Amino acid sequence: GNGEIVVNEANFVRKCIAAESSQDDLWGKLICTNFKISFITHNSIPQQKFQYVHHLLGEHDIPLACVDQVVTVNDAKGKQKVLGSNQKLKFNPTELILYCKDFRIVRFRFDEAGPESAKKVCLAIAHYSQPADPQLLFGFEFAQSRQYGSSGNIIERVNGVDPGGGCQTPLFDRPSDWDREIKRTGASEWRVCSINEGYTVSPSLPEYFVVPASMADLDLKQYACSYTGQRIPMWCWNHSNGSSLVRMSSICDVQQQRKLDQRVSSAITKSHPQRSEVLTSDLDKTLPSIQEVQAALIKLRQSCVIEPFEESEEKWLSSMENSRWTEYVRAFLRHAVEVVYMLEGKRVSVSLQEEEDRDLCCVVASLVQLMLDPHCRSLVGFQALVQKEWVMAGHRFLDRCNHLKKNDKEEAPLFLLFLDCVWQLMNQYPAAFEFTETYLTVLSDSMWIPVFSTFLFNCPQQRAEYSREFVHSKSIPLGNEQALKFPPVWDWSQQFTLKDQTLFNNPLYVGKGATCVQNGTVKTFRRTKQRNYSSTVRGVPSALKNGLRGDVDTLSRRNSLVARLRPDFSQAREVTETPCERFTREWFSRPTDLQGLLLPQLLPTHVTLWRLYFLRWVPEASISQGGAITAFHKLSLLADEIESLQNQLRQYNTSGGVGGTPASTPNPAHPEHGRMYFKCTPSPNRAASTPEYLSSSFPFSPVGNLCRRSILGTPLTKFLNGAKIWLSTETLANETV
Amino acid sequence: MEKSGSVDSLGSRQSSSRQPSVDSLSSSSTSRSDRSSQAKPASAMSSDSASTNELSPELRQQSKLPAKLLRGLNSNEPQLLPKETVQDTAKDVTYICPFIGALRGTLTVTNYRLFFKCMDRDQSLALDIPLGVVSRVEKIGGTSSRGEVSYGVVCKDMRNLQFAHRQPDDTLKKSIFEVLMKYAYPISNSLAFFAYDYEQIFPENGWKVFDALAESKRQGLPNESWRISKVNDHYELCDSYPSTLVVPVTIPDEDLRRIAAFRAKGRIPVLSWIHPETQATVVRCSQPMVGVNSKRCKEDEKLLQAIMDANAQSHKLFIFDARPSVNATANKMKGGGYESEDAYQNAELVFLDIHNIHVMRESLRKLKEVVYPNIEESHWLSNLESTHWLEHIKVILAGALRIADKVESGKTSVVVHCSDGWDRTAQLTSLAMLMLDSHYRTIRGFEVLVEKEWVSFGHRFQMRIGHGDKNHTDADRSPVFLQFIDCVWQMIRQFPTAFEFNEYFLITILDHLYSCLFGTFMCNSEQQRLKEELPKKTLSLWSYINSQLEEFTNPFYVNYSSHVLFPVVSMRHLELWVGYYIRWNPRMRPQEPVHQRYKELLAKRSELQKRVEELRREVANKAASLTSERAGSPTRSITPVQTFV
Repeated sequence: GNGEIVVNEANFVRKCIAAESSQDDLWGKLICTNFKISFITHNSIPQQKFQYVHHLLGEHDIPLACVDQVVTVNDAKGKQKVLGSNQKLKFNPTELILYCKDFRIVRFRFDEAGPESAKKVCLAIAHYSQPADPQLLFGFEFAQSRQYGSSGNIIERVNGVDPGGGCQTPLFDRPSDWDREIKRTGASEWRVCSINEGYTVSPSLPEYFVVPASMADLDLKQYACSYTGQRIPMWCWNHSNGSSLVRMSSICDVQQQRKLDQRVSSAITKSHPQRSEVLTSDLDKTLPSIQEVQAALIKLRQSCVIEPFEESEEKWLSSMENSRWTEYVRAFLRHAVEVVYMLEGKRVSVSLQEEEDRDLCCVVASLVQLMLDPHCRSLVGFQALVQKEWVMAGHRFLDRCNHLKKNDKEEAPLFLLFLDCVWQLMNQYPAAFEFTETYLTVLSDSMWIPVFSTFLFNCPQQRAEYSREFVHSKSIPLGNEQALKFPPVWDWSQQFTLKDQTLFNNPLYVGKGATCVQNGTVKTFRRTKQRNYSSTVRGVPSALKNGLRGDVDTLSRRNSLVARLRPDFSQAREVTETPCERFTREWFSRPTDLQGLLLPQLLPTHVTLWRLYFLRWVPEASISQGGAITAFHKLSLLADEIESLQNQLRQYNTSGGVGGTPASTPNPAHPEHGRMYFKCTPSPNRAASTPEYLSSSFPFSPVGNLCRRSILGTPLTKFLNGAKIWLSTETLANETV
Repeated sequence: MEKSGSVDSLGSRQSSSRQPSVDSLSSSSTSRSDRSSQAKPASAMSSDSASTNELSPELRQQSKLPAKLLRGLNSNEPQLLPKETVQDTAKDVTYICPFIGALRGTLTVTNYRLFFKCMDRDQSLALDIPLGVVSRVEKIGGTSSRGEVSYGVVCKDMRNLQFAHRQPDDTLKKSIFEVLMKYAYPISNSLAFFAYDYEQIFPENGWKVFDALAESKRQGLPNESWRISKVNDHYELCDSYPSTLVVPVTIPDEDLRRIAAFRAKGRIPVLSWIHPETQATVVRCSQPMVGVNSKRCKEDEKLLQAIMDANAQSHKLFIFDARPSVNATANKMKGGGYESEDAYQNAELVFLDIHNIHVMRESLRKLKEVVYPNIEESHWLSNLESTHWLEHIKVILAGALRIADKVESGKTSVVVHCSDGWDRTAQLTSLAMLMLDSHYRTIRGFEVLVEKEWVSFGHRFQMRIGHGDKNHTDADRSPVFLQFIDCVWQMIRQFPTAFEFNEYFLITILDHLYSCLFGTFMCNSEQQRLKEELPKKTLSLWSYINSQLEEFTNPFYVNYSSHVLFPVVSMRHLELWVGYYIRWNPRMRPQEPVHQRYKELLAKRSELQKRVEELRREVANKAASLTSERAGSPTRSITPVQTFV
């Protein structure tokens, strides 16, 4: 009843599990709907002991939008064809290979299926995964049926509230969200401007955005014509020292350039309490282009999942280098650090400039805020950041995801690159983020589920336009609603249960009300003033300064002599050091405050491959009963125990302490769920062992996705396939006997 | 009596100790000097930052230090160990730091260390390096216009130092670098290692960590199939083997003597590990001396058959030859070789393709070139690839994995050898045992593993490291043990909860592999160690480590017994151990470790537990008094109050 309809199907299809043998393959029915490719099997696959249920997708399902290439094969005739939309297929396929955007590769065989039905289902998949029109994207049907029901009647919302907490995330589609952001960052010299209501000024800017208080609406309207896409400078964020971050497109009217630059700069300067100058950072000149980023991902995918595992081992390191992916990750992080230096170290405002202001600016503006503003490292804060700097700022998700598969040149994984940058920061500061790498991965995967307002459109105006057209063409009664309502991805209950959503929570997170330990006693510190957050290390409680320094630090060391003996190399450094390098070096010589500024280490030894994301579908690379998840598990148990102790305390306090039997009262905040996915069992002789189902690709088990079903049981086969290259021919001969 | 920290001798030792105030604060430590060679976080550890190098852990734990002591810490002279004496001091020495530039200061050489303290006003840098780390000292170029001479000091722990100083005006006076060369090479200069002088009180005697009979007993040996032989009691059968050997009951000692003549260096097949359930075993030895004429040895064939028969689960035996088959074949020319399938029925031979010590030494040399002093950012990965270091690590781990898999999944016994059975064989058996037996993944278990498979089975530490020997080009030197520790680190990375020890434990072991402060890694065999009376005359590294276990403990450790680890042996997961190989670079700040945060959470939990317990009692008391009031009875606490943990 969510608008999904079956388009075509074929029976007696075999889903290939192992690359080289067929003994573990699954038999079932291959179905193509207007949303996904489904495989229904009656074979029992070894049931996973953990339940990670997706509300929209089954274990073998692939959303059509996730399919990158549809390849049909006929081995008898030695033919192979990449199927486009509305194409003909001159041979009967014996095999279908789906290359997916999330790095999966799925193979189906039609040996026992009827040749005609096999052909039909392949053509259907090719056709429906390349929709000719945006309104054919499943999100429209989904939104319609969600909103009005399949019968077309308006469904009454039961209580008008999304249960998944998506509503806590500001969407920045109304002035009040911007007002709150202005207040939160203390940007008193900035104002919300509504000249773009109805998108009358710029088609790609949001209806409401923030501009210098000194600029009049009339002037803004006039200036707009001179900017590419009429994108007048738009405020992103304010530092507590008064400097601000602004983004803008290039000025296309060359004659106006000087005058405009001057006017805008002086307006931004006026909004700075110290009247500091504005520095412009031209991103097009310093960062890789979107085409280069796309090329890097294609090379990376080639190495990670397409080339045979064993053969690519020998040249793995140089193939990583040749893909240039991590090099680009470093480049974006480095650029963000330079902007951070200007805002924080030089205390000047920065304006990010890019021809269209819709790609590179999104990455850099959000990275800068992640480093400077601890609020962006909380879950809601991060979602607000993406909403503000990507969705509302008009990142062309529809084109960059290439949902319509119309223009491959426009496709570019900018958002994935950004998530990789976030992961690098997270990897270097594991306690600084409220969310986990599972969250980042799931967020990335959601790009390929085309039902969320977040990733479906190129800009807010397009969303309004398309949904209006859809409503019109389908003659849907509008009722009180103005347009179709697409859920934002932040409404996680669309995809996951509350229990599964707890996999997003980082047990290590040092949040605002973080606990710190000094000389064995626990203190909870709260920041007194809201605006303290970006005053970096210096203004923050000394107890936390050494918080995570050194794995062998003893607790008592933090207030010891270390600081006094810390060397200062400043005098002896060569003069070649740039001010930004000096700023970074000095920051690193101080203890880290996780609620302050965070700078990434940028050496190639510290920026590494995001293994969970890129290798999760590769069974040979999966560490069974190992990987970071095992430490995460142990930490979760401890965090859960702390949480339940806190609940007990709370109950003692509320029950007045008289005759209290606190166990009988459940936690009022979360009736059945704690913050942690893994629970500590309160039995006295608790087994501390790590669950057997954990692996380095948890919770994205490769079971059923081009992998061996028996992978957990026999490391022998896994090993032999992974290490053939190391065996002499003689050994191989022996091995096969 | 063995030299150790028995508590009764504490009084007398302290009074005789020359160590001044600082040491009297520290009850158990190798004291500050060692700290320089230990893995503190890079900000503290980088050779060019003084910071925490100046502080022993004991000092840090003293929350309030007298002001006098603090000044002492910044002094220009090193904090000496007991019995350590200054041999020479030179002022106005320039240390040419590759990261900061030229620094002037004072250089001190003792009988244990090299100590440089920067005297520039704004610098608090100090270098503190055990002489055992020094591989080579050489004059670079001639005398400069300023009358200065440059010296390069090449170290065994992945760094090079360069100094410049004015030659003494008195031509008869020796340069401090000549003094350095004398004390850095005690073997070449007929001096005793400092380890023989060094005295320190430790609560535990590390020499007692490993007892061959106790370890056998832990494995359930002897049993009906395996016996403990005394044939090598006086090292007559094999001078590089331990005195205690475990062999099949069906093979009498005189057969063992014949086998010894057939196996290289007399290193006969003996048991290293037995599976507690399947009885499949890991057996180690050296290559058979088959030669070009394919010589055979009846007793040797019988022994291998007996090994197979001792395991009822399998009718096969796997022989893992660590070498590439080409090398194994080439060894036939020198009288060695490998087991032929004609002679050894039911045995299957597998070559593991691990290269020899020369290839490994060359690979490490290349690695040092790539990582020190600076890494080239744009070609980091391809440069790393060109050293083949990780590739070698991969082959070693892959070999160990095959062995562990055969024993665990195949329930088959295995025989492991290379040429002499003291390098690659030790790597393979110890790593396989680490995968198979969770006991070796505890701190004490790992110490036993090192003592057993490396020290007692005659890995030639003296020769491979070249302790105190000036002959730095010696072709017998090779980073065999370093590779083993690197492989262990790779496993820790893949299984963060499976090991009781942390990375710092491994770095400490490597630092003292070179420092020559402890006797643990001195000499080449058990026989030599006994002859030199090392357990009496020197201290064990494990005494030091076991006296501060907390520093070496991995907080995430989950003790799951009978859990076999199968690491993924793929370049996708292997990484260069930056925290060891690149730790001297001040830019290599380690990633923020989560251990500290974990400790904070633990403290928070205990605080909360305390408060909950207090409240629980309060509630219980109130309830009790209420009940007693209501009942009007003087008896207390008759109403059980529901509690929970």
